[in-house]
Amino acid sequence: MGSRALLLLTPAFRSDRVLLSHFTKCGFHQTFRQKEKMVRLGAREFSVHSSLERPNVARLAETARISLTPQEAEEFAPKIQKVVDWFGQLQDVDLQSIEPAIRPDTEAGSFREDSPETFDNREAIIAAIPSYEEPYIKVPKVLNKD
Amino acid sequence: MWNMVEDEKMLSSVQNPRILLLHCRRSKPLHHHYHHRHYGKPIHATPLSRSISASLPTSQIQTIQKSILSREKTTRQFAEEFLNRLRLTEPHVKSFLHVSETVLDEADEIDRKIDRNEDVGPLAGVLVAVKDNICTADMPSTAGSKILENYRPPFDATAVKKLRESGAIIVGKTNLDEFGMGSTTEGSAYQVTANPWNLECVPGGSSGGSAAAVSARQCVVSLGSDTGGSVRQPASFCGVVGLKPTYGRVSRYGLVAYASSLDVIGCFGSSVADAGILLQTICGHDKLDATSSKREVNDFTSQFISKDYFESQPLKGLRVGVISETLGDGVDQEVVSSIRGAISHLEELGCTVTEVSLPSFSLGLPAYYVLASSESSSNLSRYDGVRYGNQMVSDELSALYGGSRANGFGPEVKRRILMGTYALSAGYYDAYYKRAQQVRTLVQKTFKAALDSHDILISPAAPSAAYKIGEKKNDPLAMYAGDIMTVNVNLAGLPALVLPCGFVKDSASSLPVGFQMIGAAFDEEKLLRVGHIFEQTLQGYSFIPPLIADEFKS
Repeated sequence: MGSRALLLLTPAFRSDRVLLSHFTKCGFHQTFRQKEKMVRLGAREFSVHSSLERPNVARLAETARISLTPQEAEEFAPKIQKVVDWFGQLQDVDLQSIEPAIRPDTEAGSFREDSPETFDNREAIIAAIPSYEEPYIKVPKVLNKD
Repeated sequence: MWNMVEDEKMLSSVQNPRILLLHCRRSKPLHHHYHHRHYGKPIHATPLSRSISASLPTSQIQTIQKSILSREKTTRQFAEEFLNRLRLTEPHVKSFLHVSETVLDEADEIDRKIDRNEDVGPLAGVLVAVKDNICTADMPSTAGSKILENYRPPFDATAVKKLRESGAIIVGKTNLDEFGMGSTTEGSAYQVTANPWNLECVPGGSSGGSAAAVSARQCVVSLGSDTGGSVRQPASFCGVVGLKPTYGRVSRYGLVAYASSLDVIGCFGSSVADAGILLQTICGHDKLDATSSKREVNDFTSQFISKDYFESQPLKGLRVGVISETLGDGVDQEVVSSIRGAISHLEELGCTVTEVSLPSFSLGLPAYYVLASSESSSNLSRYDGVRYGNQMVSDELSALYGGSRANGFGPEVKRRILMGTYALSAGYYDAYYKRAQQVRTLVQKTFKAALDSHDILISPAAPSAAYKIGEKKNDPLAMYAGDIMTVNVNLAGLPALVLPCGFVKDSASSLPVGFQMIGAAFDEEKLLRVGHIFEQTLQGYSFIPPLIADEFKS
């Protein structure tokens, strides 16, 4: 409940976007409006179709575990939207039957022996821990979320 | 200041062909291609006699090695010269986030070893700066971010370990855009580095500190990292040599990960030979990096011979392809003319230059940014304030994560993580991430085809010379657009070398322009050979910034 209410209360978002995320949470099937947009980059213009739901900055921030302030969210939303629209070019290309490449094909993986080795500088690892009480790394409690 | 060795007697007794490089200077007047108006000093054409050549770069590494081994000069003397220059220029350039306190002690230790006739290593006496996203156990490694303020890694990166084993002196850690995300170094959480050619301009990024440090001769060579051009573009902006190796050539162990399928550690030097010698030192298979190549590493450094030994058309038969998409709209006219100048020079050296089109070229840029933001959103999830880094104390775990990350990350980093999170979300993976991976395949295929019919491909390293600090800070897309020349090379994992070839001039200053040479996978040897010959035969340019140029006149 709390997180949904927060979304509605945040002034950073235009009402249509808030409604959109509300609908999605309620399980409405969403085919977002087709929108011809022009994005200018350098000397070229790109026409982008956003047939996907636009980025919901607050929800993304929650997923990414970054606590954004309302000002930050407001500032970021148009910038992120602009870049994501620009990403839309990828949808305009015919990529049928092209295999995705997860990394350069310069070399196949070279794995080492699966045998454990002791790291020789544990003291330095421990020294870097912000909150340590031997032998525990301390973290605060985890609250149950909705 | 050290003297050029032109003593015939000394040379005839030297067996090592590498030393021949030193015997190639002729006295000639300096032709400066820039005005000193900005700094209020006139330029004199000066005969070169015994001063270091300002119009033809020499290998500082070879110069230093020869001097200290023959005891003509001590390591300590070299170290003091560099440290003095560093101290004088740092308030203006601000390349360093941390300067080592043990430089002179390490120099003394090398001198002692030499006195005892002990082996000192091929980089002994050479001051190397290391980008702050490469782990050094004895110095902070912040990746330019507040979230890692004062962080001391428990290990050295493999590349750093190899540097130390070769006798190099690590002079300090250089400034960068936070986590490598940026093209200007303005994205650092700590300071803005200035371009030594014009202190109001950016040095490029994300390895701006490493490029500026070599450009201002604060160190001999430096390490940077290149995910989308972060070594090559600053090399072009700062008028130095930048070398991006093949993906898998240099171990990534100890390089703070930004986009694991794109990141590489790269080299900066004031000459092609120095960048090549540095690469030689740090490359090779590492069992701690599963993406590092087991391929044999040849000795590339044996080809850095003196130009006196070049044939008349030393690059005869070399097939060069100019990427036609890189000299059109959106590229500064003066950059285009500098590249055309480089092309003429290559033709004079015997190359056959043709145009080649890479149709998927412009698609590489959005594909790159989708892949890089997506991979970074995953790689940066480890910065949660729990095991290392700055922690925002909280009663509850999610808030601890959220607060530590909100507090520790800068705006560009946050935006890229959010964009990456979006692109990887259920329902969007196919639309963005998968398609970007498919574009990667396309880019790899088109490069392979082009490199089957050409030995090397060339393009500018950036569509413009360095721009003013603050100019692109608020427009991410404008900044991303500048990466068009470099990202495709990362998608394909190929090696590339950038070297200065000209200038862009305005009323205030001259800014250097670099051209990029792209080679086939693991073909660094060819790139370095061509680059070395190009550099050693290029007439009429001096790539020493006005900030320090006085010191280099006799």
